[in-house]
Amino acid sequence: MLLTVNDLHKSFNGREILKGIDFQIDKGEIVVMIGPSGSGKTTFLRNLNFLEHADQGQMDFAGHQIDLAKPDKKEGQWVRRHSAMVFQNYSLFKNKTALQNITEGLIYAQGMAKDKAEAIAKHELASLGLSQEAQLYPAQLSGGQQQRIGIARATVLNPEIILFDEPTSALDPELVGSVLGDMRKLAEAGQTMIIVTHQLGFARQAADRIVFFDEGKVIEEGAPQAMFDHPQNKRTAQFLTALNDAN
Amino acid sequence: MFDLNFARASFGQILAAAPLTLLVAVVATLVGLILAILVAIAREKKIPVLAQVLAVLVSFIRGTPILVQLYVVYYGLPQLLVLMRSWGWNTNPDGLPAIVIAFSAYGLNAMANLSESIRSAYHSVDPRQYEAGIAVGMPPFKTMTQIVVPQLITNLIPNFTNIFLDLIKDTALIYNIGLVEIMGQANIVSSIGFKYLETYTDALVIYIVICWIFAKIFQLIESQLRRRYVPN
Repeated sequence: MLLTVNDLHKSFNGREILKGIDFQIDKGEIVVMIGPSGSGKTTFLRNLNFLEHADQGQMDFAGHQIDLAKPDKKEGQWVRRHSAMVFQNYSLFKNKTALQNITEGLIYAQGMAKDKAEAIAKHELASLGLSQEAQLYPAQLSGGQQQRIGIARATVLNPEIILFDEPTSALDPELVGSVLGDMRKLAEAGQTMIIVTHQLGFARQAADRIVFFDEGKVIEEGAPQAMFDHPQNKRTAQFLTALNDAN
Repeated sequence: MFDLNFARASFGQILAAAPLTLLVAVVATLVGLILAILVAIAREKKIPVLAQVLAVLVSFIRGTPILVQLYVVYYGLPQLLVLMRSWGWNTNPDGLPAIVIAFSAYGLNAMANLSESIRSAYHSVDPRQYEAGIAVGMPPFKTMTQIVVPQLITNLIPNFTNIFLDLIKDTALIYNIGLVEIMGQANIVSSIGFKYLETYTDALVIYIVICWIFAKIFQLIESQLRRRYVPN
Protein backbone atom coordinates (compact mmCIF):
# COMPACT_ATOMS: atom_id res chain seq x y z
CA MET A 1 0.00 0.00 0.00
CA LEU A 2 1.24 3.49 -0.83
CA LEU A 3 -0.87 5.19 1.82
CA THR A 4 -2.69 3.76 4.80
CA VAL A 5 -4.67 5.78 7.33
CA ASN A 6 -6.07 4.26 10.51
CA ASP A 7 -8.71 5.61 12.86
CA LEU A 8 -8.54 9.27 11.80
CA HIS A 9 -10.57 11.56 14.08
CA LYS A 10 -11.07 15.28 13.66
CA SER A 11 -13.33 17.73 15.52
CA PHE A 12 -14.05 21.41 14.99
CA ASN A 13 -15.33 23.28 18.06
CA GLY A 14 -16.39 20.09 19.77
CA ARG A 15 -18.23 18.77 16.71
CA GLU A 16 -16.75 15.58 15.36
CA ILE A 17 -16.38 15.84 11.57
CA LEU A 18 -14.37 12.66 11.03
CA LYS A 19 -15.35 9.75 13.26
CA GLY A 20 -12.58 7.25 12.77
CA ILE A 21 -11.66 6.85 9.11
CA ASP A 22 -9.74 3.80 7.92
CA PHE A 23 -8.46 4.16 4.38
CA GLN A 24 -5.81 2.77 2.10
CA ILE A 25 -4.74 3.33 -1.47
CA ASP A 26 -2.32 1.42 -3.65
CA LYS A 27 0.26 2.88 -5.97
CA GLY A 28 -1.41 3.77 -9.28
CA GLU A 29 -4.89 3.42 -7.84
CA ILE A 30 -7.60 6.01 -8.45
CA VAL A 31 -10.10 6.42 -5.64
CA VAL A 32 -13.14 8.66 -6.00
CA MET A 33 -14.81 9.89 -2.84
CA ILE A 34 -18.47 10.75 -2.96
CA GLY A 35 -20.93 11.80 -0.31
CA PRO A 36 -23.18 14.64 0.78
CA SER A 37 -21.82 18.11 1.60
CA GLY A 38 -20.48 18.25 5.14
CA SER A 39 -19.83 14.51 5.25
CA GLY A 40 -16.10 15.12 5.82
CA LYS A 41 -14.58 14.34 2.40
CA THR A 42 -12.76 17.66 2.10
CA THR A 43 -11.67 17.58 5.73
CA PHE A 44 -10.26 14.12 5.15
CA LEU A 45 -8.15 15.32 2.20
CA ARG A 46 -6.93 18.34 4.15
CA ASN A 47 -5.83 16.07 6.97
CA LEU A 48 -3.84 13.93 4.55
CA ASN A 49 -1.87 17.01 3.48
CA PHE A 50 -1.59 18.48 7.01
CA LEU A 51 -3.60 21.56 6.12
CA GLU A 52 -5.64 20.44 9.13
CA HIS A 53 -4.29 18.60 12.11
CA ALA A 54 -6.10 15.46 13.11
CA ASP A 55 -6.98 14.82 16.75
CA GLN A 56 -6.14 11.15 16.46
CA GLY A 57 -4.94 8.70 13.84
CA GLN A 58 -2.03 6.91 12.23
CA MET A 59 -0.59 7.33 8.76
CA ASP A 60 1.76 5.15 6.77
CA PHE A 61 2.85 7.00 3.63
CA ALA A 62 5.45 5.23 1.46
CA GLY A 63 7.00 3.62 4.53
CA HIS A 64 6.93 6.75 6.73
CA GLN A 65 5.00 6.15 9.95
CA ILE A 66 3.31 9.31 11.20
CA ASP A 67 1.23 9.93 14.29
CA LEU A 68 -1.40 12.27 12.91
CA ALA A 69 -2.18 13.74 16.32
CA LYS A 70 1.37 15.02 16.74
CA PRO A 71 3.12 14.99 13.41
CA ASP A 72 6.76 15.88 13.49
CA LYS A 73 7.38 19.08 11.45
CA LYS A 74 9.86 17.27 9.23
CA GLU A 75 7.46 14.41 8.58
CA GLY A 76 4.68 16.86 7.71
CA GLN A 77 6.96 18.64 5.25
CA TRP A 78 8.03 15.29 3.78
CA VAL A 79 4.41 14.31 3.17
CA ARG A 80 3.65 17.68 1.56
CA ARG A 81 6.67 17.39 -0.71
CA HIS A 82 5.59 13.96 -1.92
CA SER A 83 1.94 14.80 -2.36
CA ALA A 84 0.09 17.61 -4.08
CA MET A 85 -3.36 19.07 -3.92
CA VAL A 86 -5.80 20.55 -6.41
CA PHE A 87 -8.34 22.91 -4.87
CA GLN A 88 -12.00 23.58 -5.54
CA ASN A 89 -11.36 27.30 -6.00
CA TYR A 90 -8.07 26.73 -7.86
CA SER A 91 -6.13 28.81 -5.27
CA LEU A 92 -3.62 29.94 -7.84
CA PHE A 93 -1.05 32.50 -6.72
CA LYS A 94 -2.69 35.71 -7.93
CA ASN A 95 0.56 37.69 -8.15
CA LYS A 96 2.25 35.07 -10.33
CA THR A 97 1.84 34.25 -14.00
CA ALA A 98 0.55 30.85 -15.12
CA LEU A 99 4.15 29.82 -15.73
CA GLN A 100 5.33 31.07 -12.33
CA ASN A 101 2.44 29.29 -10.61
CA ILE A 102 3.88 26.06 -11.94
CA THR A 103 7.56 26.82 -11.27
CA GLU A 104 7.09 28.11 -7.70
CA GLY A 105 6.83 24.63 -6.18
CA LEU A 106 9.73 23.29 -8.25
CA ILE A 107 11.99 26.17 -7.20
CA TYR A 108 11.03 26.70 -3.57
CA ALA A 109 9.90 23.22 -2.51
CA GLN A 110 12.25 21.06 -4.56
CA GLY A 111 15.15 23.49 -4.84
CA MET A 112 15.36 23.27 -8.62
CA ALA A 113 17.26 25.90 -10.64
CA LYS A 114 14.98 28.52 -12.13
CA ASP A 115 15.76 27.87 -15.81
CA LYS A 116 15.28 24.13 -15.39
CA ALA A 117 11.96 24.70 -13.60
CA GLU A 118 10.84 27.02 -16.39
CA ALA A 119 11.75 24.47 -19.06
CA ILE A 120 9.65 21.84 -17.27
CA ALA A 121 6.74 24.22 -16.80
CA LYS A 122 6.83 25.33 -20.45
CA HIS A 123 6.86 21.72 -21.58
CA GLU A 124 3.89 20.97 -19.33
CA LEU A 125 1.95 23.99 -20.63
CA ALA A 126 2.70 22.97 -24.21
CA SER A 127 1.43 19.45 -23.62
CA LEU A 128 -1.80 20.94 -22.22
CA GLY A 129 -2.12 23.32 -25.17
CA LEU A 130 -1.79 26.31 -22.82
CA SER A 131 1.49 27.81 -24.10
CA GLN A 132 -0.35 30.98 -25.14
CA GLU A 133 -1.39 31.54 -21.55
CA ALA A 134 2.07 31.14 -19.97
CA GLN A 135 2.57 34.84 -19.24
CA LEU A 136 -1.01 35.59 -18.15
CA TYR A 137 -2.03 36.15 -14.53
CA PRO A 138 -4.83 34.07 -12.95
CA ALA A 139 -7.29 36.97 -13.15
CA GLN A 140 -6.83 36.91 -16.93
CA LEU A 141 -7.64 33.20 -17.24
CA SER A 142 -11.01 31.43 -17.37
CA GLY A 143 -11.96 29.16 -14.47
CA GLY A 144 -11.23 26.09 -16.57
CA GLN A 145 -7.80 27.40 -17.55
CA GLN A 146 -7.05 28.29 -13.92
CA GLN A 147 -7.93 24.82 -12.75
CA ARG A 148 -5.84 23.23 -15.50
CA ILE A 149 -2.90 25.36 -14.35
CA GLY A 150 -3.72 24.22 -10.80
CA ILE A 151 -3.46 20.61 -11.95
CA ALA A 152 -0.22 21.33 -13.82
CA ARG A 153 1.19 22.98 -10.67
CA ALA A 154 0.51 19.70 -8.86
CA THR A 155 1.69 17.25 -11.53
CA VAL A 156 5.08 18.84 -12.34
CA LEU A 157 6.11 18.08 -8.77
CA ASN A 158 5.93 14.40 -9.67
CA PRO A 159 4.10 13.60 -6.44
CA GLU A 160 3.42 10.09 -5.17
CA ILE A 161 -0.22 11.06 -4.83
CA ILE A 162 -2.44 13.94 -5.93
CA LEU A 163 -5.46 14.96 -3.85
CA PHE A 164 -8.32 16.57 -5.79
CA ASP A 165 -10.85 18.53 -3.75
CA GLU A 166 -13.94 18.95 -5.95
CA PRO A 167 -11.83 20.19 -8.86
CA THR A 168 -14.78 20.94 -11.14
CA SER A 169 -17.42 22.16 -8.65
CA ALA A 170 -16.70 25.85 -9.18
CA LEU A 171 -16.61 25.61 -12.96
CA ASP A 172 -19.20 26.52 -15.57
CA PRO A 173 -20.55 23.27 -17.06
CA GLU A 174 -18.91 23.79 -20.44
CA LEU A 175 -15.48 24.13 -18.82
CA VAL A 176 -15.71 20.90 -16.83
CA GLY A 177 -14.76 18.70 -19.77
CA SER A 178 -11.28 20.13 -20.29
CA VAL A 179 -10.40 19.70 -16.62
CA LEU A 180 -11.71 16.13 -16.51
CA GLY A 181 -9.73 15.50 -19.72
CA ASP A 182 -6.49 16.44 -17.96
CA MET A 183 -7.40 14.17 -15.06
CA ARG A 184 -8.11 11.27 -17.43
CA LYS A 185 -4.66 11.68 -18.97
CA LEU A 186 -3.12 11.54 -15.51
CA ALA A 187 -5.12 8.41 -14.78
CA GLU A 188 -3.85 6.77 -17.94
CA ALA A 189 -0.30 7.68 -16.96
CA GLY A 190 -0.73 5.72 -13.74
CA GLN A 191 -0.83 8.65 -11.32
CA THR A 192 -2.16 7.74 -7.87
CA MET A 193 -5.11 10.01 -7.10
CA ILE A 194 -7.80 10.60 -4.51
CA ILE A 195 -10.61 12.60 -6.05
CA VAL A 196 -13.54 14.17 -4.25
CA THR A 197 -16.16 14.86 -6.90
CA HIS A 198 -19.83 14.73 -7.81
CA GLN A 199 -19.03 13.84 -11.45
CA LEU A 200 -20.42 10.31 -11.41
CA GLY A 201 -19.82 9.75 -15.11
CA PHE A 202 -16.14 10.48 -14.68
CA ALA A 203 -16.03 8.36 -11.53
CA ARG A 204 -17.55 5.39 -13.31
CA GLN A 205 -15.00 5.59 -16.14
CA ALA A 206 -11.84 6.53 -14.37
CA ALA A 207 -12.06 5.26 -10.79
CA ASP A 208 -10.73 1.93 -9.58
CA ARG A 209 -12.72 2.27 -6.40
CA ILE A 210 -15.53 4.44 -5.05
CA VAL A 211 -15.67 5.40 -1.38
CA PHE A 212 -18.96 6.71 0.01
CA PHE A 213 -18.70 9.13 2.95
CA ASP A 214 -21.55 10.09 5.21
CA GLU A 215 -21.56 11.85 8.58
CA GLY A 216 -17.83 11.51 9.07
CA LYS A 217 -17.61 7.82 8.28
CA VAL A 218 -16.88 5.59 5.32
CA ILE A 219 -20.24 3.89 4.77
CA GLU A 220 -19.45 1.76 1.76
CA GLU A 221 -16.72 1.20 -0.79
CA GLY A 222 -16.27 -0.88 -3.88
CA ALA A 223 -15.71 -0.98 -7.62
CA PRO A 224 -17.67 1.72 -9.54
CA GLN A 225 -19.88 -0.71 -11.40
CA ALA A 226 -20.96 -2.55 -8.27
CA MET A 227 -21.35 0.62 -6.17
CA PHE A 228 -23.37 2.57 -8.70
CA ASP A 229 -25.56 -0.26 -9.95
CA HIS A 230 -26.02 -2.28 -6.77
CA PRO A 231 -25.28 -0.16 -3.70
CA GLN A 232 -25.50 -2.33 -0.58
CA ASN A 233 -26.15 0.45 1.93
CA LYS A 234 -29.45 2.32 2.04
CA ARG A 235 -27.75 5.74 2.48
CA THR A 236 -25.55 5.12 -0.56
CA ALA A 237 -28.55 4.21 -2.65
CA GLN A 238 -30.45 7.32 -1.50
CA PHE A 239 -27.50 9.58 -2.25
CA LEU A 240 -26.93 8.12 -5.72
CA THR A 241 -30.61 8.41 -6.56
CA ALA A 242 -30.68 12.03 -5.45
CA LEU A 243 -27.55 12.82 -7.47
CA ASN A 244 -28.90 11.09 -10.58
CA ASP A 245 -32.21 12.91 -10.26
CA ALA A 246 -30.38 16.22 -10.00
CA ASN A 247 -28.52 15.47 -13.21
CA MET B 1 -7.86 93.28 2.04
CA PHE B 2 -5.76 90.32 1.06
CA ASP B 3 -2.22 91.59 0.41
CA LEU B 4 -1.10 89.50 -2.54
CA ASN B 5 2.33 91.09 -2.63
CA PHE B 6 2.97 90.19 1.00
CA ALA B 7 1.77 86.66 0.39
CA ARG B 8 4.10 86.37 -2.58
CA ALA B 9 7.05 87.86 -0.74
CA SER B 10 6.56 85.55 2.25
CA PHE B 11 6.05 82.40 0.22
CA GLY B 12 9.76 81.63 -0.18
CA GLN B 13 10.43 82.13 3.53
CA ILE B 14 7.66 79.73 4.49
CA LEU B 15 8.60 77.21 1.82
CA ALA B 16 12.12 77.17 3.31
CA ALA B 17 10.63 75.40 6.34
CA ALA B 18 9.13 72.60 4.23
CA PRO B 19 12.21 70.32 4.46
CA LEU B 20 11.74 70.04 8.25
CA THR B 21 8.09 69.11 7.77
CA LEU B 22 9.09 66.43 5.28
CA LEU B 23 11.99 65.22 7.43
CA VAL B 24 9.74 64.62 10.44
CA ALA B 25 7.04 62.97 8.34
CA VAL B 26 9.46 60.70 6.47
CA VAL B 27 11.54 59.65 9.50
CA ALA B 28 8.39 59.04 11.55
CA THR B 29 6.93 56.93 8.74
CA LEU B 30 10.09 54.84 8.41
CA VAL B 31 10.43 54.32 12.19
CA GLY B 32 6.69 53.68 12.40
CA LEU B 33 6.75 51.20 9.52
CA ILE B 34 9.52 49.09 11.04
CA LEU B 35 7.77 49.02 14.42
CA ALA B 36 4.38 48.42 12.77
CA ILE B 37 5.67 45.34 10.94
CA LEU B 38 6.88 43.88 14.25
CA VAL B 39 3.62 44.79 16.00
CA ALA B 40 1.52 43.28 13.19
CA ILE B 41 3.54 40.04 13.24
CA ALA B 42 3.33 39.75 17.03
CA ARG B 43 -0.42 40.34 16.97
CA GLU B 44 -1.12 38.04 14.02
CA LYS B 45 1.01 35.29 15.58
CA LYS B 46 -0.92 35.89 18.80
CA ILE B 47 2.21 35.84 20.94
CA PRO B 48 0.86 35.53 24.50
CA VAL B 49 0.98 38.69 26.67
CA LEU B 50 2.93 40.70 24.06
CA ALA B 51 0.01 40.63 21.60
CA GLN B 52 -2.40 41.86 24.26
CA VAL B 53 -0.05 44.57 25.50
CA LEU B 54 0.48 45.81 21.94
CA ALA B 55 -3.26 45.78 21.26
CA VAL B 56 -3.82 48.05 24.25
CA LEU B 57 -0.95 50.34 23.23
CA VAL B 58 -2.24 50.60 19.66
CA SER B 59 -5.82 51.37 20.68
CA PHE B 60 -4.48 53.88 23.23
CA ILE B 61 -2.49 55.74 20.58
CA ARG B 62 -5.32 55.61 18.07
CA GLY B 63 -7.75 56.88 20.66
CA THR B 64 -5.88 60.01 21.76
CA PRO B 65 -5.04 63.28 19.95
CA ILE B 66 -1.54 63.47 18.52
CA LEU B 67 -0.99 66.83 20.25
CA VAL B 68 -1.45 65.15 23.63
CA GLN B 69 0.89 62.34 22.59
CA LEU B 70 3.45 64.94 21.52
CA TYR B 71 3.32 66.62 24.96
CA VAL B 72 3.45 63.30 26.80
CA VAL B 73 6.59 62.31 24.88
CA TYR B 74 8.04 65.83 25.26
CA TYR B 75 7.72 65.76 29.04
CA GLY B 76 7.89 62.00 29.50
CA LEU B 77 10.87 60.93 27.40
CA PRO B 78 13.48 62.98 29.36
CA GLN B 79 12.08 61.54 32.59
CA LEU B 80 12.33 58.06 31.16
CA LEU B 81 15.98 58.75 30.31
CA VAL B 82 16.61 59.97 33.86
CA LEU B 83 15.05 56.76 35.13
CA MET B 84 17.19 54.69 32.74
CA ARG B 85 20.31 56.51 33.94
CA SER B 86 19.43 55.54 37.50
CA TRP B 87 19.38 51.91 36.28
CA GLY B 88 22.93 52.37 35.07
CA TRP B 89 22.25 53.14 31.39
CA ASN B 90 24.43 55.76 29.78
CA THR B 91 21.74 58.28 28.81
CA ASN B 92 21.80 62.06 28.57
CA PRO B 93 18.34 63.47 29.38
CA ASP B 94 19.46 67.09 29.13
CA GLY B 95 20.77 66.84 25.60
CA LEU B 96 17.57 65.58 24.02
CA PRO B 97 16.86 67.65 20.87
CA ALA B 98 13.25 68.54 20.12
CA ILE B 99 13.51 66.83 16.75
CA VAL B 100 14.14 63.49 18.47
CA ILE B 101 10.98 64.07 20.50
CA ALA B 102 9.11 64.72 17.27
CA PHE B 103 10.51 61.59 15.60
CA SER B 104 9.53 59.51 18.64
CA ALA B 105 6.01 60.86 19.07
CA TYR B 106 5.11 60.78 15.38
CA GLY B 107 6.90 57.47 14.92
CA LEU B 108 4.78 55.87 17.65
CA ASN B 109 1.65 57.38 16.14
CA ALA B 110 2.58 56.03 12.70
CA MET B 111 3.32 52.64 14.25
CA ALA B 112 -0.18 52.36 15.69
CA ASN B 113 -1.98 53.34 12.49
CA LEU B 114 0.30 51.43 10.13
CA SER B 115 0.15 48.22 12.18
CA GLU B 116 -3.63 48.20 11.87
CA SER B 117 -3.40 48.86 8.13
CA ILE B 118 -0.83 46.10 7.67
CA ARG B 119 -3.10 43.65 9.47
CA SER B 120 -6.09 44.53 7.33
CA ALA B 121 -3.98 44.36 4.14
CA TYR B 122 -2.80 40.92 5.27
CA HIS B 123 -6.35 39.73 5.90
CA SER B 124 -7.45 40.85 2.45
CA VAL B 125 -5.02 38.39 0.81
CA ASP B 126 -6.95 35.17 0.17
CA PRO B 127 -5.53 32.70 2.73
CA ARG B 128 -6.14 29.79 0.36
CA GLN B 129 -3.13 30.93 -1.64
CA TYR B 130 -0.98 30.44 1.43
CA GLU B 131 -2.46 26.95 1.84
CA ALA B 132 -1.75 26.19 -1.80
CA GLY B 133 1.89 27.21 -1.32
CA ILE B 134 2.19 24.97 1.73
CA ALA B 135 0.45 22.16 -0.15
CA VAL B 136 3.02 22.20 -2.98
CA GLY B 137 5.68 21.89 -0.29
CA MET B 138 6.95 25.47 -0.15
CA PRO B 139 8.36 26.41 3.27
CA PRO B 140 5.94 28.72 5.17
CA PHE B 141 8.41 31.64 5.18
CA LYS B 142 8.97 31.42 1.42
CA THR B 143 5.22 31.21 0.86
CA MET B 144 4.83 34.43 2.82
CA THR B 145 7.59 36.33 1.01
CA GLN B 146 6.76 35.02 -2.48
CA ILE B 147 2.98 34.98 -2.43
CA VAL B 148 1.39 36.80 0.51
CA VAL B 149 3.65 39.81 1.14
CA PRO B 150 3.73 41.14 -2.45
CA GLN B 151 -0.09 41.18 -2.50
CA LEU B 152 -0.21 42.64 1.01
CA ILE B 153 2.01 45.55 -0.07
CA THR B 154 -0.28 46.37 -2.99
CA ASN B 155 -3.29 46.28 -0.68
CA LEU B 156 -1.48 48.44 1.87
CA ILE B 157 -0.62 51.38 -0.39
CA PRO B 158 -3.94 53.30 -0.26
CA ASN B 159 -4.01 53.25 3.55
CA PHE B 160 -0.30 53.90 3.74
CA THR B 161 -0.80 57.00 1.59
CA ASN B 162 -3.53 58.28 3.92
CA ILE B 163 -1.38 57.75 6.98
CA PHE B 164 1.64 59.43 5.40
CA LEU B 165 -0.41 62.45 4.28
CA ASP B 166 -1.98 62.69 7.75
CA LEU B 167 1.53 62.72 9.23
CA ILE B 168 2.63 65.53 6.93
CA LYS B 169 -0.37 67.57 8.02
CA ASP B 170 -0.05 66.61 11.68
CA THR B 171 3.55 67.84 11.81
CA ALA B 172 1.97 71.32 11.82
CA LEU B 173 1.75 70.78 15.58
CA ILE B 174 5.48 70.45 16.28
CA TYR B 175 5.92 74.22 16.53
CA ASN B 176 4.39 73.61 19.96
CA ILE B 177 7.69 72.06 21.04
CA GLY B 178 9.77 74.76 19.41
CA LEU B 179 10.43 73.33 15.97
CA VAL B 180 9.99 75.73 13.09
CA GLU B 181 8.33 73.84 10.25
CA ILE B 182 5.88 75.26 7.70
CA MET B 183 3.25 76.24 10.27
CA GLY B 184 5.77 77.63 12.75
CA GLN B 185 7.42 79.67 10.01
CA ALA B 186 4.02 81.00 8.90
CA ASN B 187 3.37 82.12 12.49
CA ILE B 188 6.70 83.90 12.68
CA VAL B 189 6.34 85.65 9.33
CA SER B 190 2.77 86.74 10.04
CA SER B 191 3.67 88.20 13.42
CA ILE B 192 6.12 90.52 11.67
CA GLY B 193 3.55 92.15 9.39
CA PHE B 194 0.37 91.15 11.23
CA LYS B 195 -0.84 89.70 7.93
CA TYR B 196 -2.15 86.33 9.09
CA LEU B 197 -4.41 85.40 6.20
CA GLU B 198 -1.64 85.89 3.66
CA THR B 199 0.93 83.70 5.41
CA TYR B 200 -1.54 80.97 6.33
CA THR B 201 -2.72 80.92 2.72
CA ASP B 202 0.92 80.41 1.72
CA ALA B 203 1.11 77.49 4.18
CA LEU B 204 -2.13 76.09 2.79
CA VAL B 205 -0.81 76.14 -0.76
CA ILE B 206 2.45 74.49 0.27
CA TYR B 207 0.65 71.69 2.15
CA ILE B 208 -1.73 71.07 -0.73
CA VAL B 209 1.06 70.84 -3.28
CA ILE B 210 3.19 68.54 -1.11
CA CYS B 211 0.26 66.24 -0.34
CA TRP B 212 -0.89 66.17 -3.94
CA ILE B 213 2.58 65.21 -5.17
CA PHE B 214 2.90 62.34 -2.69
CA ALA B 215 -0.65 61.14 -3.33
CA LYS B 216 0.14 60.97 -7.05
CA ILE B 217 3.44 59.16 -6.51
CA PHE B 218 1.85 56.45 -4.35
CA GLN B 219 -1.10 56.15 -6.70
CA LEU B 220 1.31 55.51 -9.56
CA ILE B 221 3.22 52.91 -7.58
CA GLU B 222 0.00 51.13 -6.66
CA SER B 223 -1.35 51.04 -10.20
CA GLN B 224 2.04 49.80 -11.44
CA LEU B 225 2.00 46.95 -8.92
CA ARG B 226 -1.65 46.08 -9.41
CA ARG B 227 -1.58 46.31 -13.19
CA ARG B 228 0.74 43.33 -13.16
CA TYR B 229 -1.92 40.95 -12.00
CA VAL B 230 -5.35 42.52 -12.06
CA PRO B 231 -6.79 43.23 -15.50
CA ASN B 232 -8.69 46.48 -15.93
